[in-house]
Amino acid sequence: MTDIRVPPPEPAVTEVPPAAGTVGLRGAAARWLRRPRSRRELVDRLFAVQSLFALLVVFVVAILASPRRDGEILFLTAGNLGNIVRAVSEIGIIAIGMTFVILLGGIDLSVGAILGLSAVGTATLLVDSGFGIVPAVAVVLVIGALFGAVQGYAVARLGIQSFIVTLAGLQVARGIARIWSGGLGIPIAYGDGPQEAPPAFELLNGSVNGVLPVPAVLFALIGAAAIVVLRTTAFARHVYAIGGNEKAARLSGVPVTRVKVAVFAVAGLLAAVAGVIHAGQLNQGSPNDGAGYELDAIAAVVIGGTSLAGGSGSMGGTLAGALLLGILNNILALNNIDANVQLLIKGLVIVLATALQKLRRGIA
Amino acid sequence: MILVDPGDAPRAAAGTGGPVVVAMTGVAKRFGGVTALDGVTFEVRAGEVHALLGENGAGKSTLINILSGVITDYDGAVTVDGSPVRFAGPAAAQAAGIATIHQELDLVPALSVADNLVLGREPRTRLRTVDRRAAVRTAREHLDLLGADIDPRRPVGSLRVGEQQLVEIAKALALDARVLVMDEPTAALADGEVRRLFATIDGLRRRGVGVVYISHRMEEIEVVADRATVLRNGSVAGVVPAGRMDRRRIIAMMVGERATSLFAPAPTDADGSRGTVREPLLDVTDLVVRPRAPRPGRCEPDGISLTVRAGEIVGLAGLMGAGRTELLETLFGAGPRGRRTGTIRLDGSPYAPRHPRAALRAGVGFVPEDRRRAALVLDHPVGRSIMLTALATVTTAGFVSRKRERSAVQRTITELAIKTSSAATPVGALSGGNQQKVVFARHLLAEPRLLLLDEPTRGVDIGAKAEIYRLLRRLADDGMGILLASSELPELLGVCDRVLVLRGGRTVADLATDGCTGEDILAAAMGGATAGRDER
Amino acid sequence: MDRRTVLALLVTGALLTTTGCTVEKPSDDAGEARACGAGKDSLIGMSQANNAEPYRQVMNNDVQTAAKEVPGFRVVVSDAAQDNSKQVADVENFLTQRINLLIISPNEAKPLTAVVKKAYDQGVPVIVLDRKVEGEAYTAFIGGDNVAIGRAAGEFYATTLLPGGGKVIEIAGLPGSTPAAERAKGFRDGIAGNPKIEIVASQPGDWLREKGQSVADALIKAHPDVSAVYAHNDPMAEGAYLAAKAAGLEQKIKFTGIDALPVPSGGIKAVEQGRLAATFQYATGGREAVELARKILIDCATDVPRATTLATTRITRDNAAEAYAKLGGL
Repeated sequence: MTDIRVPPPEPAVTEVPPAAGTVGLRGAAARWLRRPRSRRELVDRLFAVQSLFALLVVFVVAILASPRRDGEILFLTAGNLGNIVRAVSEIGIIAIGMTFVILLGGIDLSVGAILGLSAVGTATLLVDSGFGIVPAVAVVLVIGALFGAVQGYAVARLGIQSFIVTLAGLQVARGIARIWSGGLGIPIAYGDGPQEAPPAFELLNGSVNGVLPVPAVLFALIGAAAIVVLRTTAFARHVYAIGGNEKAARLSGVPVTRVKVAVFAVAGLLAAVAGVIHAGQLNQGSPNDGAGYELDAIAAVVIGGTSLAGGSGSMGGTLAGALLLGILNNILALNNIDANVQLLIKGLVIVLATALQKLRRGIA
Repeated sequence: MILVDPGDAPRAAAGTGGPVVVAMTGVAKRFGGVTALDGVTFEVRAGEVHALLGENGAGKSTLINILSGVITDYDGAVTVDGSPVRFAGPAAAQAAGIATIHQELDLVPALSVADNLVLGREPRTRLRTVDRRAAVRTAREHLDLLGADIDPRRPVGSLRVGEQQLVEIAKALALDARVLVMDEPTAALADGEVRRLFATIDGLRRRGVGVVYISHRMEEIEVVADRATVLRNGSVAGVVPAGRMDRRRIIAMMVGERATSLFAPAPTDADGSRGTVREPLLDVTDLVVRPRAPRPGRCEPDGISLTVRAGEIVGLAGLMGAGRTELLETLFGAGPRGRRTGTIRLDGSPYAPRHPRAALRAGVGFVPEDRRRAALVLDHPVGRSIMLTALATVTTAGFVSRKRERSAVQRTITELAIKTSSAATPVGALSGGNQQKVVFARHLLAEPRLLLLDEPTRGVDIGAKAEIYRLLRRLADDGMGILLASSELPELLGVCDRVLVLRGGRTVADLATDGCTGEDILAAAMGGATAGRDER
Repeated sequence: MDRRTVLALLVTGALLTTTGCTVEKPSDDAGEARACGAGKDSLIGMSQANNAEPYRQVMNNDVQTAAKEVPGFRVVVSDAAQDNSKQVADVENFLTQRINLLIISPNEAKPLTAVVKKAYDQGVPVIVLDRKVEGEAYTAFIGGDNVAIGRAAGEFYATTLLPGGGKVIEIAGLPGSTPAAERAKGFRDGIAGNPKIEIVASQPGDWLREKGQSVADALIKAHPDVSAVYAHNDPMAEGAYLAAKAAGLEQKIKFTGIDALPVPSGGIKAVEQGRLAATFQYATGGREAVELARKILIDCATDVPRATTLATTRITRDNAAEAYAKLGGL
């Protein structure tokens, strides 16, 4: 068959109509502004930005609900917004890795424990082993990625459900962290002497221009990179395909094992990044750090509209979901809502967000 | 495999006897801007089998969904026993005596037959526990009415599809169904099961149940239906009474003014190339596969020898369970792990794919039988689905070039005449035929030398079928080798140059389609004189 | 990039712009807001490490009850649920709310040192409860002395509980935790006066009732002739009691705990009801913290004690009911 061939790399440049699937700001804006052709399209369009919409709603509600001092809206103070993005950055970075795993149709319960392990590793290597920052961080990141890769291999080749594999991984990572640290938090002191970490590491606790916390900057950079990866790479296509229909993906020549290993490795790697940040922010690596973070990350992903069944979802949604949770936490705290009631409200928000996605399918 | 002998099947004495049970008048339905039904009138009498025909997209599903209460907002009137009704949902339709048996059966595999039959209205003992004995008794009564010899205590998951279907019918009867809607009931059945089903349908007819029968298989309609309503583009194209079931006429009604020539001309007619000796592309000798963990219900290759030459379309015939799918999977590297003996050569070099990627690299493509389960993600866009296999050709350093992808996708959509509003439309929104073309497109973009096809026209309407046949012929003319497994004799005879017949995992015959008849193929497939029961 | 991404960027941009444009001016009104004196309303932030621990719940209650007595005091409590990062964020949120004074019961010392220093440097007086933070950047520390408590328990064993000597099983707290180490060390100091007392086994019960029970189960089997069980807290002592009861030895063995929380499930009630021979109060410091806060915010005291060590009270059957009432038992 000669007529179905991949075209030459440089097709004639003509005006490309803003058809669906088109990239580029102009196309996006044009499509957005055009009158919807059908009810389904309208619904799709509204829900496409559902998580962002929810984020905006929560943002506005937070402004309205914010306590004021001397006429100033406390929620909107630079310090407070900085606090929000910093508080959200670790969960957010983990949630980015979690998005890949969930798109694949899996789940990763080990990320919180990998965070703890990485925090311990960072502290031990910097303080006790006298590593420089770069080698210490490199070793920790490699450990995190390897840990994830091993889990991915078990999922792909042994055919064990990821829930089980990573539940076991959670225990193992916590165990290693406890053994490595002797069960104690390892404090990080800064200085040039022995048993002291290079002072540059403390930058993780700082901020750009005194406003934007460094962890938040890292979160934004990783988030942007993840959006690009998910939209433009063959790897991401393969993730979506496996999550949508693994058998079909395999028969279509998708390297299923390789992709699965890579996805879990990415999740482990990002958890390790979060662990390094954690150690830098708290000046300590404790084996119990990150307990329960995996659930917050899953919540962020789900609020962001990614289906736990795999195969559909977006990275932008996850970032919005993480920010939404952060704002929610902050405004509840600023209003001194009882800690127990806070749990209740957060649970309701997660259910609401998921119900909204069901609703979409009902209307469309 | 359709092995229906019209003389053998039970035939209703009087076709359209009883009173009208359900009547739909002037029914119309629009989805957004698309008219799905436009003033359709349809009725079902007691004790008749009323076939509903039409290409995919003609409006059959919409009509059935209205009848069974799935779609509740529509124009027009529905009456049951003369009184107007408007079902609030499937449960209401069921309560009015209209039961629907979908292609995907609504049974719980882990529960027993009896439990499934009484699901939701389980008989209770005095202690409010489920009275299993009573449930089994009820189940047995209903199964006996159908003449089905199935142990009610067996889990449904352990039954064959045909048996599950009988359970589903029994369930409908247990609910006192007066009208039974059957959507492609034979799609997954072996020949023996088809016969059994037809006998059951005849029994239903005798008991005064009205049956709405939907199928793509013309041969079945001729045998089982008392009359047929043909839909085209949301309207009734005609009603064919019993005894006037002429295949050609019905096809003409379904297709309208479109070309009715289904099969592409064989190359003999075109350039006379048939018979010229080309180099064997695929050469299999004494292939035997012994899986490490044999799975029940599978028939792995057990002595396969075959040759496919470049430019040749070779058919694979055989009864259900003869090992056609298993052979194709082995050739594509998708079979079970295990020991393999015999030789496979592709273009003269040894070929032993361990996984589908290896097969694809070697230039072998595979269009699987069940596209929903094994080929597509229904809510993924058409473009992405087409590009899955050949993604590497538009990828640089891991990044997909949208521009190159778009033009490859557009070109393919045009080339295969895939009817879709855009490349971003979800595959699931396409008709069955166009979905199948998407799967074809995916593999053609990877430029295979050898294409393996497993029932490529299942659930595909006639128009798209014809297009697929023409496409296959063109691909072969361009030098591709094609191995086509099919259960439809006309398809094998009409499309293929040669037909290989499998039985019990062995090749038992290699027939040239010139001067060969369906009877020859069947005889080989059944192993001579034995009756047409499925063998395994 | 489609509209979702575009919007994401827009929102992120908006967030950042808002962040950049708002001028933070805590220093200006800080002096005014934190001026002391009577008749002013004061907002006190109470940052709790983990509400799920009964001891810390009692601490919160103590703070809130005591603050009610002081006109103008309002207390807001946050729960870090055992998460250092969460506690840092909690304190940051308090600072956003411009609290007048911070009471903090840190989850761990090192991770919270920075944020406590930040508060202190902004001029917010900080009272640290129970666990210290590092450095000098806080106003006052109030806490118990676990060595002293352990010693008091040991002396009680040496003179009152087992004057004739005997074998003792120790069920320790979470390995590596400071209180566990100190309560163990103090106890050994205390029993040194009676050489006939012998610790035959010491195993960690991780502060948990169920762990205490399973550990005691095994140890009592190994040492059926044991005379007493010294547990590092009351729940583990109760767990040990249950284990002994299952073995039919609960009359033979004596049990003591530490903490003496004035709650129905606490050690005081267990002593009153005869399950424990004694328990030693580990005071929460909540009342003392509010008293200090009153001195700082209303009396304008410039000099408050840098560290307050809370004394322990021995609770036995004789004084249990009285102590329960005095400590404001619920």
